[in-house]
Amino acid sequence: MSERVILLVEDNADDEDLTLRALKKSNIMNRVVVTRDGVQALDYLFMRGEFADRDANEKPQVILLDLKLPKLDGLEVLRTLRADPRTKLLPVVILTSSAEEQDVIRGYDLGANSYIRKPVDFTQFVEAVRQLGLYWLVLNQPVPGRS
Amino acid sequence: MSEAVTAFSESAADYERLLDAVARSIAQAVGDACVVALRSEDGQTVTPVAMFDADDAIVAKFAPILNVSVPTGDAKLVTAANKGSLFMPMVDLDQLEGHVHVNLLAFARSIGVHGLMVVPLRSRGAMLGAATVMRHSSARAYDEIDLELTEHLANHAALALGNAKLFREQQRIQEALHHSEMRRVAEAQAAEANRFVDAILENIPNMVFVKEAKELRFVRFNRAGEELLGIPRAQMMGKNDFDFFPTSEAEFFVQKDRETLDGKKLVDIAQEPIQTGQGQRWLHTKKVPVCDEHGTPQYLLGISEDITERLAFIGELTSARDRAEAANRELEAFSYSVAHDLRAPLRAIDGFAQALLEDYASALDANGQRHLDRIRNAAQRMAILIDALLDLSRVTRAELRREPVDLAKLARIALAMLERSDPERKVDIIVPGELPARGDPKLLSIVFDNLLGNAWKFTARAEHPRIEVGCKTDDGERVYFISDNGAGFDNAYRDKLFGVFQRLHKASDFPGTGIGLATVRRILERHGGRIWADGEVGKGATFYFTLSEAP
Repeated sequence: MSERVILLVEDNADDEDLTLRALKKSNIMNRVVVTRDGVQALDYLFMRGEFADRDANEKPQVILLDLKLPKLDGLEVLRTLRADPRTKLLPVVILTSSAEEQDVIRGYDLGANSYIRKPVDFTQFVEAVRQLGLYWLVLNQPVPGRS
Repeated sequence: MSEAVTAFSESAADYERLLDAVARSIAQAVGDACVVALRSEDGQTVTPVAMFDADDAIVAKFAPILNVSVPTGDAKLVTAANKGSLFMPMVDLDQLEGHVHVNLLAFARSIGVHGLMVVPLRSRGAMLGAATVMRHSSARAYDEIDLELTEHLANHAALALGNAKLFREQQRIQEALHHSEMRRVAEAQAAEANRFVDAILENIPNMVFVKEAKELRFVRFNRAGEELLGIPRAQMMGKNDFDFFPTSEAEFFVQKDRETLDGKKLVDIAQEPIQTGQGQRWLHTKKVPVCDEHGTPQYLLGISEDITERLAFIGELTSARDRAEAANRELEAFSYSVAHDLRAPLRAIDGFAQALLEDYASALDANGQRHLDRIRNAAQRMAILIDALLDLSRVTRAELRREPVDLAKLARIALAMLERSDPERKVDIIVPGELPARGDPKLLSIVFDNLLGNAWKFTARAEHPRIEVGCKTDDGERVYFISDNGAGFDNAYRDKLFGVFQRLHKASDFPGTGIGLATVRRILERHGGRIWADGEVGKGATFYFTLSEAP
């Protein structure tokens, strides 16, 4: 049986901690794999580099993707995911500071499943994370044969 | 005889007919044949110009020599007659050999002439010619009376001939005079027209030049051209471009000249460099072919405007625009990083303050917890300010669309959101069924969100809060308004309402960013409209705005 992990792609340590805290406070107990730039995220997904030996049964239930990332930005990561048959159906939630219309449009255009702007108010942030966890990890029926 | 004289004077104006009349009159008066011969003006030749005989056969015989000039030396009888009439009632033609032209002698022999008189035709002392009468019939020989009669007729004829000649000359002179006068007037008119065209050409403030089509040499040049090139026109005339300009320039000019003349149509050269006395200048030149009545180009007309300054100005404008665009791009990049980079630390401040409150609540007293609350409030307020500034910059940059929009609907949506966010409040709301306008629905909804948000906020403490949205016509212009009976403001400060970060109320009284009305004003200005406000402290405020009616 495969493990339902959450892949968090986030380069800011503060945001990482806060996201993990918010997930915990929302009682989402899934293991969270954290990658800190776009290249590392793709290495994890395609089992390359430092992740070459990881458990192949471990499949992300949802990817929380920041847009502004070192090396390869979030939109590029998304484009690569959607172009590969192994990852093209993975749910991707863009979780970012930007509310620029262009970023939202391009995100959806490249096949993002959801776009959430991180609120500054931590109480609101926890609520947002709780809702997205509930939706993607509990309510949403995943693609068959994937989990 | 008087008939003959009358005939002469009647035909005086008609020289040809007069000569015939003279010959006929004399022949009929004294018989048989009469030949009128005239001397040329220079006296070099003698020409038989008229001949008459009652016998047509004899007239026909004379025809070949009529109007055939002979040298005066061959017509000695005519010359001799100048000194007095020759009277030869009985003549031996052989004796005349050498004194009469051979043709006339042959004619005389062929008709059997046996008597002859040669009478001079003299007018005002000048010898015009002579009339020769010849007897070939068997009638009596000529006598003195015949001679007198002939001389008498000849005198009259000569007088008439003289008059006719004079008349003819006079006519010629008159015609010549008339022609010369006409020519003089025409020339004067042409000269005047030329001067007029010259003056126009001379005063056209652009360089005007004319080249002949063959070798492209300058034939006209105006003052603006002299001033531009710094070359006096006397030096230009008859020369071509290669005499004044660098070869590459001259070749370009000539190529364009040929293009104009060969194509027989205007050639527009938007921009061409030219070396002048004041350095390189830039010209906008139009070249036109000037054709003759057959459509063949004879001249090339050129008009050049010096656009050096204008080009420099356009260059400055372009670089200023480039700089502005670069600044704008920079501003956009800045806005973007503001959104991302300034919000992240705020999130950390707020998030970790909350974490402290949650995880270490027991280690903090009430005062410590209040401090953490204030840290969180400050972070959240700063986030709101950043978002408001971003909205303002987005409003400035966003593309403006113009389409039909119902402002009443925008107002109802904004009010519904306010009611939902604050369901405890009871506010009287008056919005008409429809307020049709043209504008950008997205931007105009920001206007209503802000103005109604203010009205909502500032009526919080009113006893019977009331908000009205409406429209009136002022001087033919549609003016929309939003009025409330809330806290109002002092009209003395109403100009400060629309500046960024300008607030008339303490944040503790009524929270706000101080950016909302600046955003509203910018949206309305982008629509070509205006906004103004009227208020009274404690009574309420009314905001008025217009939208340009442009499509």
